[in-house]
Amino acid sequence: MNAVEVNGLIKSYGSNIVLKGIDLHITSGEIFALLGVNGAGKTTALECIEGLRKYDSGTIEIHGKTGIQLQSSSLPAHIKPMEAVKLFAKWNKAVIDNTTLDALGIKEMEKLQYFQLSTGQKRRLHLALALIGGPDIIFLDEPTAGLDVEGRISLHNQIRKLKSQGKTIVLASHDMAEVEALCDRIAVLTGGAIVFCGTPAELTERTGKKYLIHVKTNQDSRTIETDNISDTLFLLLQKISQKGLEITDIKVDRGTLEQHFIEMTRGVAK
Amino acid sequence: MNAFWYSVILQWKLDIRSKSLLVTCYLVPLAFFLLMGGVFTSVMPQMKETLIQSMIVMGISMGAFIGLPPSLTETYGSDIKKAYQANGVPLYLGLATMFLSAFLHLMMLCIIILVLAPIIFQAVLPANLCLFFVGLAVYTVCSLSIGCVLGLTVKSQSKLTMIAQLIFLPSIILSGIMFPIDLLPNFFQTAGQFFPASWGYQLMQDQGFRLENLWYLLLVFVTAAAGCGILLKKQKSR
Repeated sequence: MNAVEVNGLIKSYGSNIVLKGIDLHITSGEIFALLGVNGAGKTTALECIEGLRKYDSGTIEIHGKTGIQLQSSSLPAHIKPMEAVKLFAKWNKAVIDNTTLDALGIKEMEKLQYFQLSTGQKRRLHLALALIGGPDIIFLDEPTAGLDVEGRISLHNQIRKLKSQGKTIVLASHDMAEVEALCDRIAVLTGGAIVFCGTPAELTERTGKKYLIHVKTNQDSRTIETDNISDTLFLLLQKISQKGLEITDIKVDRGTLEQHFIEMTRGVAK
Repeated sequence: MNAFWYSVILQWKLDIRSKSLLVTCYLVPLAFFLLMGGVFTSVMPQMKETLIQSMIVMGISMGAFIGLPPSLTETYGSDIKKAYQANGVPLYLGLATMFLSAFLHLMMLCIIILVLAPIIFQAVLPANLCLFFVGLAVYTVCSLSIGCVLGLTVKSQSKLTMIAQLIFLPSIILSGIMFPIDLLPNFFQTAGQFFPASWGYQLMQDQGFRLENLWYLLLVFVTAAAGCGILLKKQKSR
């Protein structure tokens, strides 16, 4: 069953068409990422889906209660975290779930005002606010932007926990590592259009079965890109042997999602 | 407690924490009251008759034109309004809570002036306190509605300060609260009539609560309320 269905979504600002008729079908219980470089239109798309922004044409259907993690400037500077939690709970006529607040460490920052919180604390607070009322679909816009490694890992764990509870997570990101680590499916948005929608593995497949051979010798190090690993490796070892060099390290990988993403967005730009 | 009243009380607390509102609604008006109260009553003893009204008009004008708009700009000119939209809360809630909170703060300021003025400066209390408070409420609501239009229209805090001063300063100088309006040239007397402060000052004086002093304030309020409605609708349609 689809939690979110978007068909032919068009949005423009004046003469600038930001979304050129995008289609998205997000399945219940999955972590779905909207991927794109800055200015690709992912925040606009997400805000249209969330109902925060008007769009020109198309249809958006949401099947379930939504929770939206807002950006780090969407609360008054002097509000305290628990006051915000109580306010959102009142607005949603919901009971405060202390377990979630404890898990996100909201009570530890009780005495601080919003402007005194660190980026990580703000992100956790916004996630806690998005979860008030027990939403089925949670929207996260660049959830870990500006977080340190520890904060990032902690938030990833929270997101995985939400998925294990059957929630649908829709996130916008330009962080490939995050998307690779978390998401079931991704949609790549470039120039206002979806150029790919599928699993991270499918993205890798689509951009070609490219291998990277990283070789370090006693004289230099290099990386070679190839589609045919056995022939390239054979020729490479032969060359190194002819030159009388000594291999100190050799590694073969298939490139990161980031490299595939860059290749795909470059291709579209061309 | 329901969501609306929780929002109002929370806003009231946030306003106390926000130094700008504390300064414009309490510190500056009270400092001005203590200083000018001393000067006025010694230079012109007859000012004791109208000291309370003039200091209250000054305090309310400052709180409404300079104190309230920055909070509104902070909310409606930024992502804070998305918090309302994301939770299915109507956009006017923020405006209503800030309006009510500022109203309560300004009423507290007026009560402080009303209590202190007779004690410190032997100022004369209004003869009919009930009518005085009705007039006070009308002027406060009218001034706050202008503050709301300012806060919803101007997006930059620096521009806001400048525009707010352009309304506040003539309100104080041309309304007759600092010196009798008859001393001003005709042009300035007429110009002063465009500012609600002149009407509010008349309304709060003894025997001043009459329709001829009331209609302009009501007109300004209705116009400003309609303006706020249009501005909020514009925000919603983006």
